[in-house]
Amino acid sequence: MLLLTTTLAISETYSAAQSHGKRVLAGQVRDESGEPLPGANVYVRGDIRNGTSTDVNGYYSLEFPDGKDIRIEASFLGMKTSTVEYIGQAEQDFVLKADDNMMQEAVVTGRQNINDVDIRARAGVINEVDVKRMQDRPVLDMSLALQGSVPGLVVTNRGDLGTKPEIRIRGNSSFREGDTANEPLYVLDGQVISSDAFMTLNPLDIADIKILKDAVACALYGTKAANGVLEITSVRGTNGETVVTYNFDGGVTMRGRRAVQMMDSAEKLELERLLKNPEAPGYRYSEDYYRRYYPTDPNLDQMIAEGQAILDQLRQTNTDWFKTLLRNDFYQRHNLSVRGGNSKTSYYASANYSYQGGQIPGNDVSRFTGRVSLDQAVGKKGYVSLSVNGGYSKANSPNGSTYSPSTLVYELNPYESTTSGELWSYPNRTYDDLVYQYDRTSTEKRFGTTASINLEPLEGLRVDAVAGIDMVLSESIELVPSTAYEEINSGAAENERGRLTKSKNTNSNITTNVRITYNKIIGKHDFTVGANTDYYYDDIDNMSLTGYGVGTQKSAAAINQSLEGSRKLSTSNMHEKTAQVGIGVLAGYTFNEAYDIFGTYKADASSILPKDKRWNAAWAVGIGWDVKSYFKDWNPISALRFKASYGKTANLAGVSPSLASATFSYLDDSYGDTRLLELMSLYNDSLKPEQTISTEASVSFGLFDVVTFDVGYYDRVTQDALLDVPIPSSNGFSTLKRNIGVLSNSGVEASVFAKLLNLNDLRLNLRFSIAYNRNKVIDLYDGDRLYTSEDSIIPDFEVGKSYDMLYGPISLGLDPMTGLPVFQGADGREIQANETLTRDDMVALGHSVPPYSGSINLSFTWKNLEFDADFYYVFGGVKQYAYSYVRYYDDANKNAVKGQVSNMWFKPGDQDKMYHTPFYSSSVIENLTAWPNSRSIGSSDYIRLSMLSLRYRFSERQLEWSKGVIKYANVALQASNLFTLTRYKESDPESGSLVGQQQPVVTLSLSLSF
Amino acid sequence: MKKLAIYMLVALSFTGCLDIRLEDQYSDPDAINTVQRARELLASAYNSIPRYQVQLSVLSDDFVPTNLSSSYADLLNLYNWQERAIDDLSATVWMDYYMTVANVNALLPRLDNVAVEDEEDAAELEKIRSEAKTLKAMCYFDLLRLYAPVWTDENMDKDGIILKDRLELQFLPRSPLSKCISEIVTLLDDAAKVDNPAGEVYYLGNNAVAALRAEVELYRGNYGDAISYGLPLLADAESRWTQTDYDNLWSDSNSNERLFAPYIFDTFYTDLCYDTTNGDYYILNDDIVFDEGDIREAWTVYPFTMSASSSNPREVRSFGKYNRMYYENTDVRYINTIRYSGVCFIVAEAYARDNKEAEAIALMNRYLAARGVDEWDAADPDLTGDGLIEAIIAEKRKEFVGEGTRWFDLKRLGGDLDRYSNFGSSVSSTVKEGDYRWLFPIPRSEYRYNEYVNQNPDWPVIAVE
Repeated sequence: MLLLTTTLAISETYSAAQSHGKRVLAGQVRDESGEPLPGANVYVRGDIRNGTSTDVNGYYSLEFPDGKDIRIEASFLGMKTSTVEYIGQAEQDFVLKADDNMMQEAVVTGRQNINDVDIRARAGVINEVDVKRMQDRPVLDMSLALQGSVPGLVVTNRGDLGTKPEIRIRGNSSFREGDTANEPLYVLDGQVISSDAFMTLNPLDIADIKILKDAVACALYGTKAANGVLEITSVRGTNGETVVTYNFDGGVTMRGRRAVQMMDSAEKLELERLLKNPEAPGYRYSEDYYRRYYPTDPNLDQMIAEGQAILDQLRQTNTDWFKTLLRNDFYQRHNLSVRGGNSKTSYYASANYSYQGGQIPGNDVSRFTGRVSLDQAVGKKGYVSLSVNGGYSKANSPNGSTYSPSTLVYELNPYESTTSGELWSYPNRTYDDLVYQYDRTSTEKRFGTTASINLEPLEGLRVDAVAGIDMVLSESIELVPSTAYEEINSGAAENERGRLTKSKNTNSNITTNVRITYNKIIGKHDFTVGANTDYYYDDIDNMSLTGYGVGTQKSAAAINQSLEGSRKLSTSNMHEKTAQVGIGVLAGYTFNEAYDIFGTYKADASSILPKDKRWNAAWAVGIGWDVKSYFKDWNPISALRFKASYGKTANLAGVSPSLASATFSYLDDSYGDTRLLELMSLYNDSLKPEQTISTEASVSFGLFDVVTFDVGYYDRVTQDALLDVPIPSSNGFSTLKRNIGVLSNSGVEASVFAKLLNLNDLRLNLRFSIAYNRNKVIDLYDGDRLYTSEDSIIPDFEVGKSYDMLYGPISLGLDPMTGLPVFQGADGREIQANETLTRDDMVALGHSVPPYSGSINLSFTWKNLEFDADFYYVFGGVKQYAYSYVRYYDDANKNAVKGQVSNMWFKPGDQDKMYHTPFYSSSVIENLTAWPNSRSIGSSDYIRLSMLSLRYRFSERQLEWSKGVIKYANVALQASNLFTLTRYKESDPESGSLVGQQQPVVTLSLSLSF
Repeated sequence: MKKLAIYMLVALSFTGCLDIRLEDQYSDPDAINTVQRARELLASAYNSIPRYQVQLSVLSDDFVPTNLSSSYADLLNLYNWQERAIDDLSATVWMDYYMTVANVNALLPRLDNVAVEDEEDAAELEKIRSEAKTLKAMCYFDLLRLYAPVWTDENMDKDGIILKDRLELQFLPRSPLSKCISEIVTLLDDAAKVDNPAGEVYYLGNNAVAALRAEVELYRGNYGDAISYGLPLLADAESRWTQTDYDNLWSDSNSNERLFAPYIFDTFYTDLCYDTTNGDYYILNDDIVFDEGDIREAWTVYPFTMSASSSNPREVRSFGKYNRMYYENTDVRYINTIRYSGVCFIVAEAYARDNKEAEAIALMNRYLAARGVDEWDAADPDLTGDGLIEAIIAEKRKEFVGEGTRWFDLKRLGGDLDRYSNFGSSVSSTVKEGDYRWLFPIPRSEYRYNEYVNQNPDWPVIAVE
């Protein structure tokens, strides 16, 4: 799939084209090194439908209607757009220079994303995602494909395939955790879409993604944009021959990294003997057991011998549950797109099918998407654009909150097998009683349509309007079949067994945005003023029902509605509608193309808050200084530009009407014959929106056109930060959402781009980026510390401290006499495990969220061969080990980590052991389990090879045999997440779970254009 | 610029659309604007009445443990009055009662906005107001008896409970015991002014107000008042104490014996039973013995064969009432919270303490006859002074065993409380009169976030600073 950017200069004046006839222009587009640029855009300025793209050797042939003042532009992602005047020449070559400022993209304005005004980019921080690299990554999930693409955009995988990852721009802007309060805003072609809709977009339909980070960039979106914005532009049609492109990716998905090595049968049986729990065969059939319980039995020797025989039998079996339960599966993607058009009308249409299989049987994701877009010139002064897109995606998982076959990998014993009958690890159950216990299918049906009008009624005056709707219908159906162990043993009659939960969640977003911009250039002075008004409407409708008696049928129709009592059919519904209307103004001024100043103010009214507090503001000012414009001809410095901005945005994310005023809703049950109307939550009369204040300064610097540096510093302070804080329970509620304090996120983002080799046939580029984020509690309005749990002795938030810090005591290791850990107290004395630890004994163990993240991108091109590799890394954080695979007396019947027999303390005198004694009294449990300590945490640093791609582009000569049917073709070997290097001993340092890691995928990909 | 102005006007016109009416929720200012909605909000307050009958019975001397008790460690710790277990129970008890208080506080000020169409509406509105206040008084009274010291002259100024009048975040101190009682009395006085004859048994009508008031007066030693509030309720008591009415208490049928019985939709009293084949965690205390012909026995004692160990099964007296309903899979629809027989015991005890022993015995004999028990001999020398009071309390214990009232009497009357080993075979420990644990601890969820509140004596406080 060839990459195209849709670009349109904002201050364009439309030429009074006269249709005297067609003109043809041909030539080549190259970069500065003379290397041809395949896939570059060449078009008549201001009329992108009269455009084409270059072939694999950078050649183009452009046909366009004759007219006056025609300018031809050539553009390529990451390059500066070049413009020439058309004066009747027949040939025209373009040489595109690399854009010196990698953190600032080319100044362009998409037609649908009408907030993307020219002047914004001159002062604001806008990063562009390298869409081509993203498309090279065989990952089904759009958001995971963005991991590492832009410094400061942190994407974290949270579970098995199909689980929504966490996406944050520059950390959490709120004390509140979770997506609702901290998720960025997603805008597709000017239309607000939900994060669920974003996840299921087809990467191949995307032309570019801009990450808006600072106040100047975001302020045009008003109070919705306090957490940053992802602005997505879809692929549009072109003027030219119709091009049909077919892409196929097929490959395998793999099991991934073994989280921990588990025991073999011999070691496990020995461990069981030492743990002395008769529930485990290693002790139950051991000599120790018989000698203890039957010391005087006349048949003792015979019993011991029989026990030994059973143990020998068990030792024969050595099941590797990792290989038995996890699987390799396959990955495939088919994509067909058609694009083309003429000077009046252009179109793009695509269809896509993708499938990715997860690590465990029953876990997979599949997706269909379709998209059609149409652009139509209206007279000579504007365009009308229309696009319709839809998608269907489905995720299956056998992992539920209480059922997780993946965890069985670390629980089932090596001496057990799928056919060995009743299991020791799960008494009274066989293997079949553990699998097929739960089944969940979730589907998302997405539909979106956007219409936009772009007019330029007078020179310099633009009127843009966009309106659209985006809907996501998420459905899930969960079945615990009547054949599941839990149901069989529930005590319910046979016709009452089988639980089914079905839920439907419809999320509709409606956007309208009208923007007027006027631009006037007088000599060296360039003025821009603008105003807009927008309206966002969000409708969330959730319905769910849970019923019983379905047997094994995964259908709500099978629910037995005659059941009463605890198995009665229950339903729930939540319907929330919110709207926001806003009015904004902006003004910008550029002097001599060197000094920029930009300011914007937007007032938004939200239906969430009561009338008197409805209006909130977002404003920002930014300045830019292009130093390079003073020594344009001095080569050693190829770019030097400073930018700074300051702004303030109100944030209402995660606030619902019931939090600000008394709101009542009906419950399902009744009291006698009266329905129950209940107060939903304790409301806060004085609830205010959070205020986010951002300060930003950045510089970009280029040397000899070979190395480009970008460094930016930001500081984002959130005032009146909201949190559900505990309140005295005599208020009848345990928490209340309050404005409790001030927090800050500050950090540095830097990237270096270097062209290490730049020869004729050989090029090597390297990009290195790093982002550092530090968060801190600046102020708490009620005292210096806040404890969110009534039991905690360590404050969750403390003035002057980071709020993602893990606290715990310093462990001095195990006491060789007791086998219990000894901690170091604040006064230096040793604290035994049964003593109570105090606040002073706790030290900061490290950040739970890694403060550093970044990526390394490598590109190597030799003739027709391209090699790309992306590494993603994080460091500076710690994670607590779960140690869930270390077994003690109570869970001796489940498999344990390899080496536990030698690493565990069993008897007085055992020195330097890792795991404490399995025999301890309940009084020490608190210290053993309630806190992490210096020895139960590990660094969560890791570096991952997130993408590897080797692509071969067939040259025109190699395709001659097809007689022009195949225009372009390439094949590629692509892989994602091939390996992860980490010192973290357990599981996955990213998700922190034993089973939720991103799996490696290797594919072979073929792309053909006709 | 004209266009711009038009667009701005269009935008402003949208602000009108921002008053979005939620279809399944009602938001202020006019959330509660009809009598029906007020009644529905009151219903959710009724529905939130805490249900700690099992836990309070386990804390009292109603039950003894069995061999199964150790499989339910939390409840066994509670039986043994372990500090941590009482603290945990206290946390939810405190929260639940104040949640009901909050529901009432949500309702009361909003009643002023309710549109009244006719006299019927106006009367219903006053009933709702009266019931809400009664409900609040009931919660305060339970809280006071759980968290405050017993009523004596020297305890009058000691910390009672937090009195909460507004639905908003407040950090309030505990009011003195005397102030708490006068608040309860004020609420009941207000409630009594409204004519609200007993309708549905799950609403707090005039009779319930009087019964509560009688109990409050007995609690604070105003025996004359206890009698004058309680006695009128017993005028036709015999017609309420029939065998049928007694049997119906433990069913979803109507029983005239009920004075106030919250309606319940969920399961109730399921914590006593381990499972229906093996038996219960707790069984009846052997002290509770019924005479022959006592109609209470059939519903109180549920004979059961427990396998104490697999080899020797054991015949035991399991607890009946709601527990038997659980065994027999009968739905509980009413929780018998105030009963006419309870009023009888209040009045009888008040008579006895007010030196009207003949009246006390006469009243008790009306009750005993109805229960099929031999009447007391007024000439019996044991039935005088403290002996009479003890006899009344002993009958009360038999009547209400397992219903969660006994703990309140034990605390009010004083004395030591024995804890038993399995099946009551021996006394394992004794909770002395005056032990600090007779006052529930103020939970962490209160004192950690409210510096104005004091912990009860001898209870630990988490130190964090």
